[in-house]
Amino acid sequence: MSEMPTEPIEKARPESLEKAGKSGLALDRFITFAAVIVLFTFFSLTARNFFTMRSILSLALQTSTITLMGIGVTFVIITGGIDLSIGSVVAFSGTIAVIAARAGLPIWLSMVIGLCVGVVIGLLNGLMITRLKLPPFIATLGTMMVTRGVALTITNANAWPAPQDFGKLGNGTVFGTGPQFPGIPYPVLIMIAVALIFGFILSRTRLGRYTYAIGSNQEAARLSGIKVNQVKMINYVFCGLLSALVGIILASRMVTSQPNSATGYEMNAIASAVIGGTSLMGGVGTVGGTVIGSFIIGILTVGLTMAGANYFMQQIVIGLVVIGAVTVDQLRGRK
Amino acid sequence: MEAKSASSTHEVILEVENVSKSFPGVKALDGVSFDLRRGEVHALVGENGAGKSTLMKILSGVYQPDDGIIRYKGKPVTFSDVTQARKAGIAIIYQELNLIPHLSVAANIFIGREPLTRFGTLDEKRMNADAVAMLARLNVALDPTIKLNQLPVSKQQMVEIAKAISFDSEVLIMDEPTSALTESEINELFRIIHTLRDQGVAIIYISHRLDELKHIVDRISIFRDGRSVSTDDYTAISMGEIVNRMVGRKLENKFPPKQNVPTTEKILEVRHIVRTGVLHDISFDLYRGEILGIAGLMGAGRSELGRAIFGADPIDSGEVLMNGHKLSLRSPADAIKAGIAYLSENRKEEGLAVKMTLAENVTMANVLEICRRFGVLSRGQEIEVTQRYVKSLNIRTPRLTQIVNNLSGGNQQKVVVAKWLFCDSKILIFDEPTRGIDVGTKYAIYELIGALAREGRGVIMISSDLPEILGLTDRVLVLHEGKLAATLTTAQTTQEEILNYAAGVA
Repeated sequence: MSEMPTEPIEKARPESLEKAGKSGLALDRFITFAAVIVLFTFFSLTARNFFTMRSILSLALQTSTITLMGIGVTFVIITGGIDLSIGSVVAFSGTIAVIAARAGLPIWLSMVIGLCVGVVIGLLNGLMITRLKLPPFIATLGTMMVTRGVALTITNANAWPAPQDFGKLGNGTVFGTGPQFPGIPYPVLIMIAVALIFGFILSRTRLGRYTYAIGSNQEAARLSGIKVNQVKMINYVFCGLLSALVGIILASRMVTSQPNSATGYEMNAIASAVIGGTSLMGGVGTVGGTVIGSFIIGILTVGLTMAGANYFMQQIVIGLVVIGAVTVDQLRGRK
Repeated sequence: MEAKSASSTHEVILEVENVSKSFPGVKALDGVSFDLRRGEVHALVGENGAGKSTLMKILSGVYQPDDGIIRYKGKPVTFSDVTQARKAGIAIIYQELNLIPHLSVAANIFIGREPLTRFGTLDEKRMNADAVAMLARLNVALDPTIKLNQLPVSKQQMVEIAKAISFDSEVLIMDEPTSALTESEINELFRIIHTLRDQGVAIIYISHRLDELKHIVDRISIFRDGRSVSTDDYTAISMGEIVNRMVGRKLENKFPPKQNVPTTEKILEVRHIVRTGVLHDISFDLYRGEILGIAGLMGAGRSELGRAIFGADPIDSGEVLMNGHKLSLRSPADAIKAGIAYLSENRKEEGLAVKMTLAENVTMANVLEICRRFGVLSRGQEIEVTQRYVKSLNIRTPRLTQIVNNLSGGNQQKVVVAKWLFCDSKILIFDEPTRGIDVGTKYAIYELIGALAREGRGVIMISSDLPEILGLTDRVLVLHEGKLAATLTTAQTTQEEILNYAAGVA
């Protein structure tokens, strides 16, 4: 079947039609983006108070955590891997940061320590996958359990309060003008910055190019001189780092350490990547797609809540959306 | 081997009349006619894109024709899927085998229709016995319980053939069956084909290797640009005429005139390379401007030698010097930095990222060259570079951002070549550069190899195609079971001499 399209190409002239090449992709992006608009309009009409500045900001704030984790896991999935440990990393890094702050370290330093925890776990994942040659699913399943276990052990499963100032990052806002417009929360700004930076890395840098190359054909990438292990390591570190960032934001929002938090978040993050067009086979995916994917999940969650559907109902809907999104993708690919 | 048409009854089993098939933007088949007789081996040749594969896919039920009639055993038929065609007795064996590596020979032959016991469990005993019987029809003795991945490709192919005939097939289509086989395995395959032909099976044989047709073919049909050009008895047509009809113009020579003159300046010195069990103490030199062939049977270590020099496989001892300096070859990245390129024999598995674009593949091994500061890519530069190679190598593509998977085999090979030209490599190792590509593209690749050597680069050409080795190289290394059996000067050797060294009888 794959040979068919070659024949028209044989006869076509090599005139460059650069833009046409990406039109398929642009259409995909448009469809998912249109889904966001449709959902948004739907809930604006059906749920009272959905379309207010306050609820839009709260939607962005709630979605920022899944978006950040989703961006990290998108990098890993594009290389053909997976990271199941990110939910546990969120809990563990937040807990460590709070412990550091409670021990009297400056707030900024304890947050940096929290981020380092994420980097270290990312490194460990990467080492197990590239040196011990463990399948990513197994390696990160292991770290998921170990990390969660350690977080629960050192806190005895208790939530510990953090110093007051620890809460600034998660609860502060900028550009606020009073009750009408409470301001843009810091986590939302962080999300925008991370999406821009990591989107740029993936689409415009050598590292991003290598990430796609490895996911598309690891052996061809190696034989092209790409340091496959090194690139994979960096990707798992990115994933750990962004999850740790989420851990700190969440701990800051609660102003407590939450060793039990973020259970199952890894699945939501993976779901947002998949809804956004990332292929679990590797080689395909974008940061923009994942952002849209996580907002689809976010709008559904907030919208359904406001429309009066309970948590169990939301799970059903989001699950169906994941299946639906990938089905549409498959059907389009088959043509 | 020469007793042709002995069993051909001249009874037509399959007849294709004026069949057309269009795909968006192209007419793949334009009124093709063709007939197949019981008990004949019928070759189908043509360049890539001539429509051979499309017709085979129609005959085997993958596609349905837009127009025209297919008569099978005298009755008009339409197959809406592969299962229907197979039930009717038409089976196809693709170049890439469709077998499951972790299952046994018997399990592969009977997959999807396993015999069951009364209790609904698998009847292994009967399955194994039936498999042995099926293989016996081919005169092949093979343990039916052995796992597929423990067999060489040639034996796997026999399993595929056994599977095909186990459907009581009367028409067997073989697409490039010899592309992965060595000389002696090819002879074994031809014996099997003869056996089947003598049992009355009609065989359609598709191949780019025209020189092998003389051993087995009864009739030959030539396709070009979606049309059937001619059908003749094989003995009634000359090789030159076949090639002319395939390309539609006169191709004077198979090989371009010699362009390069080897110097006496050593560019690469390989010293005592050992990879336990694979390569045994191999030493040789490569000179600037030289094309050095590496010949040998399958499993002699040809590709392994190329991969070792490139750092793709670790070696146990030995060293490689380039321009007199010792190279560190721990990874392909080291070799590429030193100026060595390796064009793998498996394009899709090792050469290309097929889901990525043409431009992305061309720059893949030298992304640094199109980067601004901090590893930021310059898309403009990438397009410019790609444009240059698309033009100079005449890569046929509608656009530079075409996904590589959608290019034809010959054009894909050119993309791989472009990738290494962009690295400005001083030493290029071509591993089976013309496998599975058409005559026209082959010639272009030969010309290119000559030009690269003329520019003062060193070229190593690994090939199982001996005429190609003789037509292109300056010297030939012959490997036998991982050892260097002979170093020959091409102008003073013959195919027979190379084969004798390769087989270890010289």
